[in-house]
Amino acid sequence: MALYLYLQFPSLLVDCVSPLPAKVPLAVADAQHRLVQLNAEAAARGITLGMSLGTAAALCADLQLLPYQAERQQQLLQNVAQQLYQLTADIAVDPPDGLYLRLCAMLRLYRGLNGYWQVLYKALQALGYRYQFSCGATPLAAKCLARQQLKLLSADSTELSAALKRSPLEASELSLTVQQQLKRLGITTLGQLLALAPTELSRRFEPELLSYLGRLNGDVYHALNYIQPAPGFSRYIELLYDIADTSVLTAPLESLLQQLSAQLKQRDALCHQLQLSLHFRSQRWAIELTVGSAQGEYLPERWLTLCQLQLSQLKLTEPVSGLELNCNDFKPRQAQTAALFDNSAASLSPLQLVSLLQARLGRDAISSLSLQNQHFPELASRRQPPLWPPQGQKQSLSDPTFQPVTPLALRPAFILPSPRPLTEPVEITSGPERLCPSGWQLAAQRDYFIGRNRKGQWLWLYRTVSQQWFVHGLFS
Amino acid sequence: MSAIIAQLTRRQLLWQGNNQQAAYQALSSGYAELDASLGGGFPATGLIELQTAAGIGELRLMLPYLKQQQASGRLLVLIAPPAEPCADMLGAAGIDLNALLLIAPANNKEMLWAAEQCLHSGCCASVLLWQPQLSLAQARRLQLAAEQGAASLIVLRKPAQYLSLPVNLSLALTAKAQGLSAMVLKRKGGWAGEVVNISMQQHWPALCLADNSEAHALTAVAG
Repeated sequence: MALYLYLQFPSLLVDCVSPLPAKVPLAVADAQHRLVQLNAEAAARGITLGMSLGTAAALCADLQLLPYQAERQQQLLQNVAQQLYQLTADIAVDPPDGLYLRLCAMLRLYRGLNGYWQVLYKALQALGYRYQFSCGATPLAAKCLARQQLKLLSADSTELSAALKRSPLEASELSLTVQQQLKRLGITTLGQLLALAPTELSRRFEPELLSYLGRLNGDVYHALNYIQPAPGFSRYIELLYDIADTSVLTAPLESLLQQLSAQLKQRDALCHQLQLSLHFRSQRWAIELTVGSAQGEYLPERWLTLCQLQLSQLKLTEPVSGLELNCNDFKPRQAQTAALFDNSAASLSPLQLVSLLQARLGRDAISSLSLQNQHFPELASRRQPPLWPPQGQKQSLSDPTFQPVTPLALRPAFILPSPRPLTEPVEITSGPERLCPSGWQLAAQRDYFIGRNRKGQWLWLYRTVSQQWFVHGLFS
Repeated sequence: MSAIIAQLTRRQLLWQGNNQQAAYQALSSGYAELDASLGGGFPATGLIELQTAAGIGELRLMLPYLKQQQASGRLLVLIAPPAEPCADMLGAAGIDLNALLLIAPANNKEMLWAAEQCLHSGCCASVLLWQPQLSLAQARRLQLAAEQGAASLIVLRKPAQYLSLPVNLSLALTAKAQGLSAMVLKRKGGWAGEVVNISMQQHWPALCLADNSEAHALTAVAG
């Protein structure tokens, strides 16, 4: 027998506001100035759904209002679906606020409905959104029962169909005009409607009614669009209060990172880069920060340290109203190995150190040096990204034709970025060594000498074709 | 009285000459005459201060030591070097370029921060720091970080009158025809004031003047 569970989240936009306000009545109003979502405090003050703004304001003067954002609602619902995907294979999204979960395939895994519900309940509590639910033999039946807030949890088909037959027409998805027509005929519950012969109904009503009843009953196959797991992580939180101090952003950021970490742990993955966006009330632009970790991390504390280093560098001109965290690239996690008898317990690995330094000093401030097979001094040393290729996978192993470059011994320790003219007497001790740029540009050839000036500094000098002398390096 | 002495010794405020065991673990400097006067070589961890002019051979003096430090597989970090370091020279001296980091901090504060992070991390063997402005408290902090991470920090400064810093070893280097002359300004567990002449003839024969300075010397003056 097919079994579906319908989950309805009546107040997603209100519940996701962070930090969670204590005792602040909060409501969401749509474009027609009707309240569509409430928090518990607002409901306790006597405000109901569908109330107009004026009435609500009269009842409760300190009511906080948020505009209804359809896009955001959709995104939140998708996020919930992605989180529950870990527990259920078949989930379909029913905008704006519902989810269909197909249970029949999952019951064997969880050993019955009870076992499944215990796991799902924990996950829903962790999400922190309020919800309504009900089981049903078809997706639409489950939805109809959930909308009546029946909290029906049963795999018994007779119990489910009895509950469906008791349902009033208002709980169905029939249009208001059809409902009116049916009421005039004396039909007030779905049971009465389902008892009628379909051929009779098709003569009097539009085909939509018949199609709905067929899907409700399970006579017609109802195709659902089941979701696929999203490849990355994307989460946005709206801050209840605008935050102008970057250090205060830590708390909401930490909760975002914990969600990311939970997702990474579930997939046994880690990520190398996060995009953190700070949104502002003016909506014109958002500050985008790219936080990188060369080694890859999944622990929220490590990411928080890296994010904080970048945030502390930031000067906010305007308070932040929303935080968004994106991560598109998950990498499989590999176990880190450390020496067993190494008693100097390193608290960081080299790659972690590099990430830490880059977060504060900027990506370009850290580099490493590689030796190129070039005779010209400026070209022989090349700056490259730090610790690349990564330690352990040396270039020579992958490429059999690779031969290490033999370094030239008599070179200065430091090469001046631009040669400076020689302005003091020096004592030449060796040379010349003639270097000519590739292509035999004889006019650009240089004769290099090693010299010592009166202060005892060892200089690397060259003479150009036009007999001018320059200092090019220091033998430190 | 002895209780006070014991307390001072425990807090490392009082040192008792060479009859005690070494105040630090020494690692050979690669120059026999220097090893002899420093009681085995440079300290393997903690701060080393070099007061020196640029370009007289101060880095060459440290290279054998740095090579040994790096042999543990840990990183060598150069913070704010005075110009572009040359891969040829470092590679020829046996430094592993794959375990070398260059850091270009924007100001003195960032420089000290980076040095502390590197020392503290435990994955760096040695950190070289060029021309920092160091206060007593900052030096103490770096010394603690270095001891925690079992790393050494080599601070290169211009010769001048500085406040005495809490370092393991402080040397003043001056250029000599044969190499360098090093005066020990401060040494933990040893005496200061000793002057050592270091010959570079063995390691760097091309960068020493001959004894009588045979003047095939072509003196060039740019004008």
